[in-house]
Amino acid sequence: MNELELKKLWQTTNDKLEGSIVINKKNTDDITQVKVHGILGSMKPIKIFTLLAGILWVVIGIVALSPIYVNAFSEANKFFLLSASVQVLLTAIALTIYIYQLTQIYQVEIYDPILQTQKKLVQLKISTLWAARIMVLQLPVWTTFWWNETMLTERGILQWVVPIFFTIAFTFTAIWLFFNIKFENRNKKWFQLIFNGKEWTPLMKSMELLEQVEDYEG
Amino acid sequence: MDKQDQQRFFEDIIEQHKGILFKVGRAYCPDVDDRQDLIQEMMIQIWLSIHKYNNQYKISTWLYRISLNVAISFYRKSSTRAKKYTGLNEQMVETPAGDQSENERQLNLLEQFISELKEIDKALMILYLEDKSHTEIAEILGMSVSNVGTKIGRIKGKLKARFSQLIS
Repeated sequence: MNELELKKLWQTTNDKLEGSIVINKKNTDDITQVKVHGILGSMKPIKIFTLLAGILWVVIGIVALSPIYVNAFSEANKFFLLSASVQVLLTAIALTIYIYQLTQIYQVEIYDPILQTQKKLVQLKISTLWAARIMVLQLPVWTTFWWNETMLTERGILQWVVPIFFTIAFTFTAIWLFFNIKFENRNKKWFQLIFNGKEWTPLMKSMELLEQVEDYEG
Repeated sequence: MDKQDQQRFFEDIIEQHKGILFKVGRAYCPDVDDRQDLIQEMMIQIWLSIHKYNNQYKISTWLYRISLNVAISFYRKSSTRAKKYTGLNEQMVETPAGDQSENERQLNLLEQFISELKEIDKALMILYLEDKSHTEIAEILGMSVSNVGTKIGRIKGKLKARFSQLIS
């Protein structure tokens, strides 16, 4: 079958099918009642919940930590204070990136050319990786919350060598992940293992799509 | 345009160009129920963008852009909206047309080939089969006219190879 025959087959068959499509007037009318949703209105409930939980976490962190800095800094356990502050700060940065990404996606025009629109959407989706990179930096502070000044002087060597070993290991892992969680490593096994849940599927698909878009632009 | 004019314009373009939505829907979504949702999402996006329609482009160019963009990306995220507007699911009713024939078999082979294509290749293939000019394809996809020629050449090569493979 040659090119012209193929096109003719496609067009005549689709014309025939098109003739059999019935548009339900009532439902067309219903669609014209649909209003533009705000960002929150177009988000899935689980995402709204995660976003609100994250904001609440940061607010509680600020409310709880601020009085310690202001009124009780000298008596406070500095390891706890620093660990908690770093954790809250990194969560706030990750949330900011996420909210920025949401607002940008919301502004993409669906009637722009395909490559332009898809590139914008997938790049924004891939910027989720930045939030993941920031979050992994929290790893070491989860091992230092309970440290205190007397640990090194009053405890046996094993009691502080083991926690310090874990902190160093977590620090190296966090830094390594921070520099290596990137689009270029999407095909590595460890990357696919980390981003292997249902919630990461759109991100992985976005990466595949970006490859296609770049191929077309190339 | 006031709201009433927009409604009339919307109904007219959906009626006149329903084939675009239908063809894109068929290419990207073989499952009939899911396709209803996809076409519904395309219609909603057309309605939500209608006040921004710029007549420097042909209406078909504008509709292809929206329906292809929705099919490629928005469809994966449309479950929230589909649940909100369940009453819209039946706005398009497909009835079987045509009988099983050699043409039908060839069409099945073609649809199988299209279903195996990646998202952007699929968009190009639909526009190529619709006999759109290279200039219009370039406007819809957002690439240079010369690049359209190159990519179509590549996809025709794939089509030829796949057809001979499927037939043999």
